[in-house]
Amino acid sequence: MQRKVHTAQPSRREFLYHSGMGLGALALTAMLHGEKARAGVLAPKQGHYRAKAKNCIFLLMEGGPSHIDTFDPKHKLIDLHMTEFVKERTKFEASMNTGRRYFVRSPFAFQRAGKLGIEINKKFRHFADCVDDVCFYRGLQATSVNHPTALYHLNTGNRFGGDPAMGSWVTYGLGTENQNLPGFVVLPDLAYPQGGAGNWSNGFLPAYFQGTPLRSQGAPVLDMNPPEYVDREQQRANLDFLGELNRRHMERRPAHDELAARIESYELAFRMQAEMPEAIDLDAEPEATRELYGLNSENADVVSLGRRCLLARRLVERGVRFVQVMASGWDSHDYIEKAHGSRMDAVDQPIAALLKDLKRSGLLEETLVVWAGEFGRSPDNGIRGVDKAWGRDHNAPAMAFWMAGGDAPRGKIVGATDETGRTAVETVHPIKNLHITLLRLLGLDDAKLTYFAQGRDKQLSQTGGELIRELVA
Amino acid sequence: MRNCLLPAALLPLTCLAAGAGEDLFREIVQPTLKQQCLGCHGEGNTFAELDLRTRDGALKGGLRGAAVVAGDPGSGTLIAALEHAGELKMPPGGDEKKLPADTVRAFREWVAAGAAYGPAASEAAWDYAEEDLWAFRPLQKTAPPEIADTEMKIRTPVDRFILEKLAEKNLPPGPRADKLTLLRRVTFDLTGLPPTPQEVREFLDDTDAGAYKKVVERLLASPRYGERWGRHWLDVTRYADTSGYSNDFERPTAWRYRDYVIRSFNADKPYDRFILEQIAGDEIFPDDPEAILATGFLRTGPWEHTGMAVAAVTRQLFLDDVTHHVGQTFLGLTLGCARCHDHKFDPIPTKDYYRMQAVFASTAFARRPLDFQPYEPTAGFAAGEKYYSDTIADLDRRMDLLHERGRVRLAAAKGEEAAAKAASGALQRYLDKEEGETLKLLRKQKTLHQGSAQRFNPIATAVSSGLVKAWNDIPSGANSYMQKGDYANAQTHVLVGGDLQAPSDPVSPGALEAVARYSALPAADIPQTVSGRRRALAEWVADPRNPLTARVMVNRIWQYHFGRGIAANPNNFGKMGKKPTHPQLLDWLAAFFVEQGWSVKAVHRVILLSEAYRRSAEHPTPAALQQTDPENLYLARFSPRRLEAEEIRDSMLAVAGELSDSTGGPGTYPQINSDAARQPRHAQGSLRPAYQPAPKRRDRNRRSIYSFQQRSLLDPMIEAFNGANPDLTCERRESSTVPTQAFALLNGEQSHDMALIMAQRVEAEADSPARRIARAFKLAYGRSPADDELALALDHYAKMCEHHAAHPARPRGEEPTIVAMITSELTGEKYQFAQPRLKVDYEHNPHPSEATPETRALADIALALFNSNEFVYVY
Repeated sequence: MQRKVHTAQPSRREFLYHSGMGLGALALTAMLHGEKARAGVLAPKQGHYRAKAKNCIFLLMEGGPSHIDTFDPKHKLIDLHMTEFVKERTKFEASMNTGRRYFVRSPFAFQRAGKLGIEINKKFRHFADCVDDVCFYRGLQATSVNHPTALYHLNTGNRFGGDPAMGSWVTYGLGTENQNLPGFVVLPDLAYPQGGAGNWSNGFLPAYFQGTPLRSQGAPVLDMNPPEYVDREQQRANLDFLGELNRRHMERRPAHDELAARIESYELAFRMQAEMPEAIDLDAEPEATRELYGLNSENADVVSLGRRCLLARRLVERGVRFVQVMASGWDSHDYIEKAHGSRMDAVDQPIAALLKDLKRSGLLEETLVVWAGEFGRSPDNGIRGVDKAWGRDHNAPAMAFWMAGGDAPRGKIVGATDETGRTAVETVHPIKNLHITLLRLLGLDDAKLTYFAQGRDKQLSQTGGELIRELVA
Repeated sequence: MRNCLLPAALLPLTCLAAGAGEDLFREIVQPTLKQQCLGCHGEGNTFAELDLRTRDGALKGGLRGAAVVAGDPGSGTLIAALEHAGELKMPPGGDEKKLPADTVRAFREWVAAGAAYGPAASEAAWDYAEEDLWAFRPLQKTAPPEIADTEMKIRTPVDRFILEKLAEKNLPPGPRADKLTLLRRVTFDLTGLPPTPQEVREFLDDTDAGAYKKVVERLLASPRYGERWGRHWLDVTRYADTSGYSNDFERPTAWRYRDYVIRSFNADKPYDRFILEQIAGDEIFPDDPEAILATGFLRTGPWEHTGMAVAAVTRQLFLDDVTHHVGQTFLGLTLGCARCHDHKFDPIPTKDYYRMQAVFASTAFARRPLDFQPYEPTAGFAAGEKYYSDTIADLDRRMDLLHERGRVRLAAAKGEEAAAKAASGALQRYLDKEEGETLKLLRKQKTLHQGSAQRFNPIATAVSSGLVKAWNDIPSGANSYMQKGDYANAQTHVLVGGDLQAPSDPVSPGALEAVARYSALPAADIPQTVSGRRRALAEWVADPRNPLTARVMVNRIWQYHFGRGIAANPNNFGKMGKKPTHPQLLDWLAAFFVEQGWSVKAVHRVILLSEAYRRSAEHPTPAALQQTDPENLYLARFSPRRLEAEEIRDSMLAVAGELSDSTGGPGTYPQINSDAARQPRHAQGSLRPAYQPAPKRRDRNRRSIYSFQQRSLLDPMIEAFNGANPDLTCERRESSTVPTQAFALLNGEQSHDMALIMAQRVEAEADSPARRIARAFKLAYGRSPADDELALALDHYAKMCEHHAAHPARPRGEEPTIVAMITSELTGEKYQFAQPRLKVDYEHNPHPSEATPETRALADIALALFNSNEFVYVY
């Protein structure tokens, strides 16, 4: 398997004397000091278990994709279509779900794919080829039907926000392979999701573990480049001058390691500045690969997500531990045929390309790919507009989820929902157990991956839970 | 072999022989019972008349019959309930709360093996190690140790405690810091800003023995003091100007609470009064506007209610938040742990948690009318109000065009009458897709702007005891539930597992039983009436006999001075928090604090004037010290610190001469990274307006504490330097060094702008390159450059002059139009919108294209100074 880690660690001397960005011998000393201070914070670490997967690409479908219209079709809804949906009303009902409601059948056609003939939406033309590599899980349940709280729940384990994202926990547990790139990268869609950067926050973990959003336009990392009127020569001269000031200062304050660490952080920043453009240069990919991901598509959404999926692969290949790709727009309350249809058109090719590409290079063996939204959608709807406005509201007790790679089962369905898709009924587990399972698939034990904060050792699952054994092959 | 899935660490895989039942009980059953069951079935509560504390109780069972039939897991209610086999499911709360399968299996095995109870399970309730109870014990004011002061190492009683410990550890205290270092240290410490060259000269020239004391008094009297120490308090209380989550709406006049905090520190408001005002100002001092503003404290957490949320749940979210928040802020206890189960580490049973919560059950959100006081700055209001009314009028105009278009089509379809009364949402359906999405976006932006416009209204985001309709501050979606008068007769129940759907025993308002149990403070007597609950709690917290309150605050103060608390977890004085390194000093300070009328400034003085505080960061024998006390717990030297995010920004502005002296009032919009400002961000169902920095330099270059704190968009520079996350209480700023800090400070537009402004300043203030460079060093470091530094800087200057002469900067480019995109929920298609420009009627900062090569070269030097270690560390 070709894995481009050669860019990860140029030897320090090599870098300092040949990159032209170095601060000279001073920085070398400083880096050695600094290394001591930062010892091991982000260095690659052994997990708690042996696991095939070492990296994770988390495809977050923001808005709540309908399981019923994607990977968990409900033929019963054809019979029930437009009959009234009656459920117990309590004061624990969001106002969204009140009023008269009716069952709504899926407007989509389905196809059988893979060796088992798993039924998936016909719109997944490309993804149909990947079904035998995928494990669909239908027993998952969210808790909240409110976007920001449900997103926080899925991403951080805590509905109310403030806790570290899963990518932060994984980077905390496993470190990262490439010290010149962030260990946890987020590739947001056009707009930041509800709840914003809290979805990739390091929470109470130290800032080393924060998710770094890479921007698709301009500088990929904020302020990675100086203002346009600063040229390279000026930057280098200023850095050298800064280095001299810091050297004299450190001579007067020899006992303080943190000074060296800070000098080293400037070096790290500029190694990142040097390495990032290559890492994100999609033009370097062969035309066939660009075509595979849909970069030549007429559908701008396909191009946009295709770029991010390809970028995810390039980053994982270069030793980034955790990449989260956001694909928004799944909040289809009405007109689900158009709204969800266009989402499926947008994600099908890029996501299938990612799986195929990872598989052919062997990276799928060591990369866990996860596809999930923050909750599912209801089999019923309050009727707005006329017959053609079929849609679905938020639904926590059943949702869409699949994963592939590493030790995840292949070509399998785990769990089941009831006949209308309202609730999971088999192998039912809350989000926290999914978190425990995903960590396990990455070689980490949720109960041991803890950090003392707010008065106790905190963990991704919040208070522990159990492994979903069926999801570990 | 039987199917044993118990964790391998707990049990051998050979299964249950005799005695295994007791192992199971000790290792799994008992801890689980204690955490999950006894809160309701034992320890004060015996719901369904079931008491699981003893084997007899379990065998006898409750209203539903025997819980356990020894040897027969198929009978009895316990196993069926844990397995969710029947109607009764325990712990309550549905699948989310179901115990792990391993644990349930262990219960089954345990019953099968005879349901042995180990010894004395019921005694466990109050079985806490004395060493973990230190914070609950009464303050012990011991006399400062007698120490022979032969070397003038004792300035205040603080030194006696510190020296005693150092002697005990055989650590010789280091020398005193030099005057400049000390001045820089204490000036940053008390004001968050560097000393000016003038202040440096005065102090260095002042040979009077009391020179340092004069400086301390000057700084304590400076209005900048409240801005610095107010920021500390806002870290703990999670201040923001918006409410977070999806819409992240502005919290009207939240800034009045921020200013109240700053004023309180500046006035050295007695801390007990500060507590009373923040917890119950409206009840205790209803006619004091400050006390009303203070209750903004109870509203600082992130909170939102939308149509997607359940009102009962969002109300409970507030109640949990405020209970936990009060505990952490004033009592240094993590009460949140006791929400679902008796606190695992501290003597806080779940019942106590809900008794505390009951105090707030009658508390309603209130948007209270409250005139602006003469001392509140309202000067810029007219301009601000005009900005929002113009913006909203413009949005209205654009919406009207679309409404009209929709109305014509609706009239054609359904007649004039229907069209005349159609609301915006109805009209939207008759528009083209793109028009409809535009209308929706405009509506959203109008709502957000209308919210912001309220920052100028004479109201307080506060609370009331019982709902006052006229002060309604609850979003319409939540009204049906939250306005039904749950306040007047609010009855709080213990929520099993923290689950709102599992109410059990009713509880009456109260405070922590453990305090009465272990200290001299009697149990709080809190009435069940609508009003007066918070008053009683506040008085209990602020009672001098409360063992936690004074200790918690003096420990916070100590931490901000020395970088580490005497007890290193200021928000956690329980078992899991670090134990105090100097318990007697902590108690002495706490008692002193109370004796001095809860004066925060008195505590500052006794600390700042100590020799311990004045010690150098360098020690004569660093290697030995590193060996014995690597964390510098015993203060043989001073621990240097990196400046906090706000200090770095404010210092950069200050030495450039650009820092605005305007204080208070609505939050301002500083210059932030333009890419971050342009980044489109979702608000529920649509997009929020782009970030626009304040057009006037004076406005955008205010101290960072006056920056508008938007939860969904924090200043990336502040964030990079480990700024406080307003969604979480921050007991202590982190200072980890990450590469994004180098990017922000070396490449950020603000750094470059400030460097150029500083260059212009030193050009105006001195008349040769050498003097200008020397001036820049004085401003940034408080000292002149050494000869070799000056030579180095002059060399760099000459090189850069040449470079800039050969490479003139291109003039400032046109500002790009911000195109925001959103995915339509209806069609799944993307729509584009041109957002307003970032900089409207903008007073630009100077630009390199307008500067001479010499000025640009000086700016290069200034930029390096901003980035240097000497600038961002204090020693």
